[in-house]
Amino acid sequence: MIRAARRGRTQRSREAIAGYLFVAIPLTLYAVYQFGALGYAFFISFWRWEILGPTAFVGPHNYQVLLADPAFHRAVVNSVYYAVVVVPCQMALGLVLAVVVNQIWFGRGFFRAAFYFPAIASSAAITVLYIYIMAPDGLFNHLLQLLGANPSLFWNRGNWLGNGATALQSIMVLNVWTTSGTMMLFYLAGLQAIPTDLYEQASVDGAGTWQRFWRITFPMLAPSHYLVAVTSVIGALQLFDQAYIAGGSDGNPNQALLTMVLYLYDVAFRQFEFGYAAAVGIVLFAIIFAATLLQRRFFGEVSWAAAQ
Amino acid sequence: MRRIPMLAAALALVAAGCGGSGGGSTATTFDPAKVSGTVVLSGWQASPEEGAALKQTLDGFAAKYPKIKVDYQPVQGDYPTVMVAKFSAHQPPDVFYVDSSVAPDWIKQGALESLNGYLSDQHFDTSKFFPGYLGAFKSPDGSTTYGLPKDGNTLALAYDNQMLSSAGVQPPTTWDEMISAGQKLKAAGVSTPYCLADDLARVGAFIYQNGGGIIDVKNRRDLIDSPATRQAVTWYLDLYKQGLARSDKDLGVAWCGEALGRQKAAMIFEGGWLDSFMQGSYPNVKYTWAPMPKGKQQATLGFTVSYSIGKESAHKQAAWVLLSYLTGQDGMKLWTQGGVANPTRTDVPPAAGKDVLVQGAKYAHPWSFVAGFSKVLDAFNNAFTGAEQGNGSADTVISAAKTAIDQQLSGP
Repeated sequence: MIRAARRGRTQRSREAIAGYLFVAIPLTLYAVYQFGALGYAFFISFWRWEILGPTAFVGPHNYQVLLADPAFHRAVVNSVYYAVVVVPCQMALGLVLAVVVNQIWFGRGFFRAAFYFPAIASSAAITVLYIYIMAPDGLFNHLLQLLGANPSLFWNRGNWLGNGATALQSIMVLNVWTTSGTMMLFYLAGLQAIPTDLYEQASVDGAGTWQRFWRITFPMLAPSHYLVAVTSVIGALQLFDQAYIAGGSDGNPNQALLTMVLYLYDVAFRQFEFGYAAAVGIVLFAIIFAATLLQRRFFGEVSWAAAQ
Repeated sequence: MRRIPMLAAALALVAAGCGGSGGGSTATTFDPAKVSGTVVLSGWQASPEEGAALKQTLDGFAAKYPKIKVDYQPVQGDYPTVMVAKFSAHQPPDVFYVDSSVAPDWIKQGALESLNGYLSDQHFDTSKFFPGYLGAFKSPDGSTTYGLPKDGNTLALAYDNQMLSSAGVQPPTTWDEMISAGQKLKAAGVSTPYCLADDLARVGAFIYQNGGGIIDVKNRRDLIDSPATRQAVTWYLDLYKQGLARSDKDLGVAWCGEALGRQKAAMIFEGGWLDSFMQGSYPNVKYTWAPMPKGKQQATLGFTVSYSIGKESAHKQAAWVLLSYLTGQDGMKLWTQGGVANPTRTDVPPAAGKDVLVQGAKYAHPWSFVAGFSKVLDAFNNAFTGAEQGNGSADTVISAAKTAIDQQLSGP
């Protein structure tokens, strides 16, 4: 008996060692290139650090400058405003698409692929396409004209991406469209985990479609809500590519598209202030970390309660 | 997809920490014919025609200096970003392109080798270069040269032949004629006479024509807060207000060249890069180059790119031999004769049809100011776009630009 148990233990520990060996290389790479880079960025955020010239320890100077930097303020406001609008829209649209795709019987695979397609297509290609659609003489304004409107008389002269008042909102619409497919997939997985007998019981009790959605589907999806909210907030606060392609590295027009990551890129690669850029990155990290903790407080308890 | 820039930035930051400073001083008295080795040459390549012209030039170099092998490594994508990563990794190419707009930054960062020793010891005559081009690659006090211009472009007026002739309008030669030509075109049914970019890299030409300025690089003070500059900016903004001009953004085009190609505007102010674009995308639209209209004085902006040597290059003598050939009379002739680029030397004749653009170099001001100029450019352009869209005026534009300039000039 004792021998057998010991053999079991050694076999288990041998399996464990083999398992760790398998993941050792990717784990080391991950530690070096994620945590190593993060720690290093934190380190140089306290230095004046340019390309080749001498470096100098400046203490919290970079952070002090950052707090008073109007361009950084603009970038934070833009990023947060963007996240606050985009995240609920993404979640709502993703949920609606998931529920619809989950219920149709005909062509489910086609619709799932069609809704997910924008998420896997190159965001650069989609953004360029979108710039053409939203141009003053583009498809969108043409459709408005067919509906009887005259976009050239609008306050932005039908120039959605070129006008400071509508550029960020236009990118919001673009991203809600392109990323809702991913959110739909998360929700679809959640929907399939809900036991069907709950719906049967509810039907027996006389619950309508609407009641079944709000009383069963929505609360049972709590873990999915948490996952979708967290990934969506992180993605929104890291907005870069669409803003860069539509507005260049200074967030044209008039800094309307200047996001935190775009500002970081601009500071590092156009101003060569790597120390300052690292400070921007650390503040961005702190904001995302705080947002994720908040969501854990908010959604995490709900999803626990649902799982119990 | 969103993480890539963060990761790239992090890698560049890591790379910046490794390695010591290499590249010591190199003797500048040597016989070019006896130098041997391999030189890495980097730049960007805008078109296959450019690649063919460069190959022809490098063949000419190989025939003259058979002992030096050139390893051409063109950079794909965002050139300044890639080069900054190479500088921070302490592995720059030996010879590479430097755009005049980033030259002050790269000089300040110590990425470029001073050419003074080579110029004097190898008896290289720089007086044949147009001063407006050469000046872009000198230190602020003008004493040190960090690159020799390989080619250059000036802003000039490009007009649609058919639109102007059917309205009976001559290309304008003065500011007053610009207004009257615009009004005539408008009366003849041309909805947008001018496409004007809301960009200091275009407005600047008109600022200089009015006797204004942007930055006094030598004495480190701003010239933008001056009556002449203010007047020019106001005048340019008024062209939009009077309905004579629209911006590229407003016309829904990527840049004014596209507006000319799609015949959405009759006249634009661009440089030689327009030619290859029009041939490729809009070969049926006929247009003609004319000199910039004259304000109080004849002026335009000069955009140029140099060949420079990396400060941390390990093959500086061979690099100099290549650089001096490429920017010398023979090399530049081979490079520019097909019309892919315009010469920066007065002793190399312009290719057919490029006369206006080359002659503009005589009165061109270099598009190159101080380190950190991109912040000034952003401040000006952001405020200018705002003013063009009705939020602000010439005053807000000038004060935004002045704040940014003062900030850059007060820095270390």
